[in-house]
Amino acid sequence: MVLKRLAALLLLVAASMALLSYAGQRWRPEAPDSIVLHGEGSSFLYPQVQAWSEEVRSTYPWLVVNYNPTGSGAGQSAFIKRVVDFAGSDPPLTGEAWERLRGKVVQLPVVIGMVAVVYNVPGVDGLRLNAEVLALIYRGEIEYWDDDAIARLNPTANLPHERIIVVHRSDSSGTTQVFTLYLHKAAPSLWPQELVGKSPDWPVDYTGRGIGGKGNQGVTELVKRNPYSIGYVEYAYAVKEGLSIALLENREGEYVAPSPEAAQEAARNALGSLPDSPDGDWSRGFDSVIYAPGRGSYPLTTWSFLLFYKEYPGPEAEAVRAFIGWINTEGQKRVVEGYVPIPEELRSLNLKAVEMIGVAGG
Amino acid sequence: MSEARFKLLVAPPAIVSSAILVLLFIVLLYYSLPAIREYGLGLLASPTWKPVEGAPGEYGLLIPLAGTLVSAVIAVLLAMPLALASVVFTEEILPRGLHRWREAFVSMIDVMTGLPTIVYGLWGAAVLAPLLGDTLYKWLHSSLSFIPLFSCQPTTGNTILTAGVLLAIMITPFIYAVVRESYRQIPRTYKEAALSLGTTRYEYVRIMMGMAKPAILAGALIGFGRAAGETVAVALVVGNTFNMPSCLLAPSYTVSSLIANQFANAQLYPLMLNVLVSGGLILLLIGIASNILGIMYLRRVRYVA
Repeated sequence: MVLKRLAALLLLVAASMALLSYAGQRWRPEAPDSIVLHGEGSSFLYPQVQAWSEEVRSTYPWLVVNYNPTGSGAGQSAFIKRVVDFAGSDPPLTGEAWERLRGKVVQLPVVIGMVAVVYNVPGVDGLRLNAEVLALIYRGEIEYWDDDAIARLNPTANLPHERIIVVHRSDSSGTTQVFTLYLHKAAPSLWPQELVGKSPDWPVDYTGRGIGGKGNQGVTELVKRNPYSIGYVEYAYAVKEGLSIALLENREGEYVAPSPEAAQEAARNALGSLPDSPDGDWSRGFDSVIYAPGRGSYPLTTWSFLLFYKEYPGPEAEAVRAFIGWINTEGQKRVVEGYVPIPEELRSLNLKAVEMIGVAGG
Repeated sequence: MSEARFKLLVAPPAIVSSAILVLLFIVLLYYSLPAIREYGLGLLASPTWKPVEGAPGEYGLLIPLAGTLVSAVIAVLLAMPLALASVVFTEEILPRGLHRWREAFVSMIDVMTGLPTIVYGLWGAAVLAPLLGDTLYKWLHSSLSFIPLFSCQPTTGNTILTAGVLLAIMITPFIYAVVRESYRQIPRTYKEAALSLGTTRYEYVRIMMGMAKPAILAGALIGFGRAAGETVAVALVVGNTFNMPSCLLAPSYTVSSLIANQFANAQLYPLMLNVLVSGGLILLLIGIASNILGIMYLRRVRYVA
């Protein structure tokens, strides 16, 4: 009796599932032969890719882009295993990984981002900092806000005799990589190579004054809530939350605040060190945008990459070509607040990739 | 439904659900092995955490392990008096006539056990940490700094002590529920016997608590296991820095908050994922041990009463 009922129930479930999947095929919300591209990776890129995936459909209604913000590391590893159609990553593939995939992939810098050094010191505006002072703060060697080293850069500011609360990211993050690389490039004697990375061993933590926040949001909250703290976050967060942003010394000795113009200036000055083709090795030149030369360029500038294969099994190839073409033309006019469009020269470089992508075996 | 068929129907789900724990253990062990082979005992004993991209870094879990134990012990020590006082209050102090109030009180505490932990975490980060940092910690440091635990100057409210206090608030309802249940099971004859001796209310409660002792121990152990495993709430208040929790007013790390922080990008670093999984394995072992011990004590009280 029970078995019969069970069997009947199973049959019913199976029948309704068959019906549903049939219906699903018939009445998919997308157009009948839409093509789906699956991507994952950088969470920094997520809001931008999300916006693009919606807006690209006004040009290509059949193009569906799904992007999962799992982090640059996860994105790269999924890309290498070929379980996604594309990946987003803040750093490009390492030289070693690129060598293994040589000739099979293209890497495109698609947006520029900036890292802002933010602080919470009541009554102090327009704080000026350079890499030496920042390095000493994050090493824990400058303890008070009215330290001579800070006062020398800010002769008119009314700096309080308060201990500095030093905030950094607790998760491993491309933002941290950019920040530490700037310190290393601009103050190599104070910030050695071994302290550069997405998750370095912060010297200031051993003083008990260092504190980690998870994600840009975590750092933002900590800085906002703790007077006399300093931290670094993506520019968009600093603006959105109204945090005080420090002016940083660039390679030319100027103190520059983050702005779209200053970031594009840095990008333009970095072009010379980039590979001349999207399928080249980006691992060496990509960080030339950090602490780039040139008047008016902001030193904590970076870009994020989208990684594609050169060959796709079928109609995906057409979709990828359309997506890349759109991102580097229309897409650059629809850059989400907090990101900066890439300069014209980079767009034409990226567009070379469209020609490189084809159908596997075709 | 025949007996045999009924057995057939319920056996597979039961086997599957108990097999999940075993599977979980095997999978965690499998992924931990590369880390255990590379670092050996250093995994537990080394305080260094130096991730390196492209090569095995130096990973030791000593600081997060110490942080987990310290914060969980603080939590149990603080939660115990809270939970016991609540039991006495609801069972003995509230007048019988106010049983509606008592039920309201009890269900409020029960609701607390079911709240998503992120709710505690957000409250802890937004309210508790700044509050403690501005008041209690400054006072502890200025008046009790001769005690090594309070010797470091607090910079923010995000410290290992805040994690302990938040965890205490989170596990109090659990301990309360365990102790209350067994307190209510104490046979009426015992209660009457105690009262007939002319005990004061304090003496009476002490005798009753003595009878519920195994449940109290069980509650402490289960609460400890829960506190050691709590992730998201702790990650928001503990400060997330590799700093030995020898002073309670400084930020530190716990194993679960380390996993929460580092997991997303762990693939970038050879062996880091394995190290994090072995941290998870340790948490699983702590959780299993404290739960088994707790349940053993609970059994004892059920048989006594």
